[in-house]
Amino acid sequence: MSAERYNRQIILKGFGEEAQQLLLRAKVLVIGAGGLGCPALQYLAAAGIGHIGIVDDDTISLSNLHRQILFTTTDIGKLKVEVAAKRLQEMNTQIGIIRHPIRLQKNNILDIISRYDYILDGTDNFESRYLINDACALLNKPLIFAAVSGFEGQLAIFNAPDYLPSTNYRDIFPIPPDKGEIPNCAENGVLGVLPGILGTMAAAETIKLIAGIGQPLSNQILNYNLLTQEQYTINVSHGGGYTLPKTVDEFLNMDYQDTSEGPQGYIEIDASELVKIQQLESVILIDVRERHELPVLDKQIFTQIPMSEFGAFMSKEFYQKHVVLICQHGIRSVAAAEALQEKYGDAKKIYSLKGGIVKWRDHFLRS
Amino acid sequence: MKIKMISFGQIAEFINNQKIDVDGISDTDAFKQYLENQFPALKGMKYKLALNKNIVQENTEITSNATIAIMPPFSGG
Repeated sequence: MSAERYNRQIILKGFGEEAQQLLLRAKVLVIGAGGLGCPALQYLAAAGIGHIGIVDDDTISLSNLHRQILFTTTDIGKLKVEVAAKRLQEMNTQIGIIRHPIRLQKNNILDIISRYDYILDGTDNFESRYLINDACALLNKPLIFAAVSGFEGQLAIFNAPDYLPSTNYRDIFPIPPDKGEIPNCAENGVLGVLPGILGTMAAAETIKLIAGIGQPLSNQILNYNLLTQEQYTINVSHGGGYTLPKTVDEFLNMDYQDTSEGPQGYIEIDASELVKIQQLESVILIDVRERHELPVLDKQIFTQIPMSEFGAFMSKEFYQKHVVLICQHGIRSVAAAEALQEKYGDAKKIYSLKGGIVKWRDHFLRS
Repeated sequence: MKIKMISFGQIAEFINNQKIDVDGISDTDAFKQYLENQFPALKGMKYKLALNKNIVQENTEITSNATIAIMPPFSGG
């Protein structure tokens, strides 16, 4: 070990050589190399966490760059895991970086997280978050949880060994919200610095937990507000009314709504299929975005029914047989499609434009 | 009964941080009922209450000047 590299933290009162050794021996898995994962990875690598695993199956896109600060413009299209691992290894040549360019699912998550001591959840969807929570609870792995929404963030530590009885995410939110209930960053927007702050705080909590310093947020959830710089910490205790798998078999039988497994009655279409459906008899094209969202579509072609008004729309009847739902990224349109599918079953054909207006921008700017 | 309300995320868009003074609310179940009547949008949402910074896991007595936080789940990253 190069003592010089870590000198400024080793000389810190209350940290020292022993704490540094603990970091160097630790194995941390960071799930999601996105807005939260990038800053967390940078500080964990720089601080000398001995083994860092990175899980992400996604590639870098231009709209990632305002917050995913490990990546540059020339990295667009490359695998996040590859670029992140290369940058981190250059930053600290003395640690091991392990690449996992996969999406975690029921059938692979237990194998991967069992190889690590601490798990940092920097994912961007509830399916992954509940999957990770349950897997960590099953294997008793300390889980550092960070998430953002709008201008706010949440930070917590679950299953920490020294803070018994340990709690998990389901003690706060026993079951996941319905699709579309809580907008994500792609739908709702996010200021890049917010996941930067939360990801850095998650790295700090990980380091505190490993080094055994301070009061980590074990069995607590911190709410952070960027606009007011206020923090509000809530104590988490054991709750009931939820199912936590107690065995591997029970875990494998859980439903985490992996996209590959989800039941679907509606059809996800691309822009060329949209053009064909537009030619059919009895078609309604519905733009479910809120009224302030851009670009504005031709009101002669697209009926605007924002998600905030969709409940009222659902209570009424309409005659068209084919219903195409469109939004910015194809996420809210899926929620709307599911609701209509549930109401109408086979009585109407429901479609959702996959990838939304952003993916087919050229198509919409032309039409 | 005086209660201070603090809300987060999506919920803060329709419930401002405020102090209320209402009669007939003596526990968290009654408060939840009151909230969902006042703010029907809350009915369809997942959220958790915290009474004086402690997560509410079962019906709990509220004393005057309590602070109740209303927290939705976040998933973004």
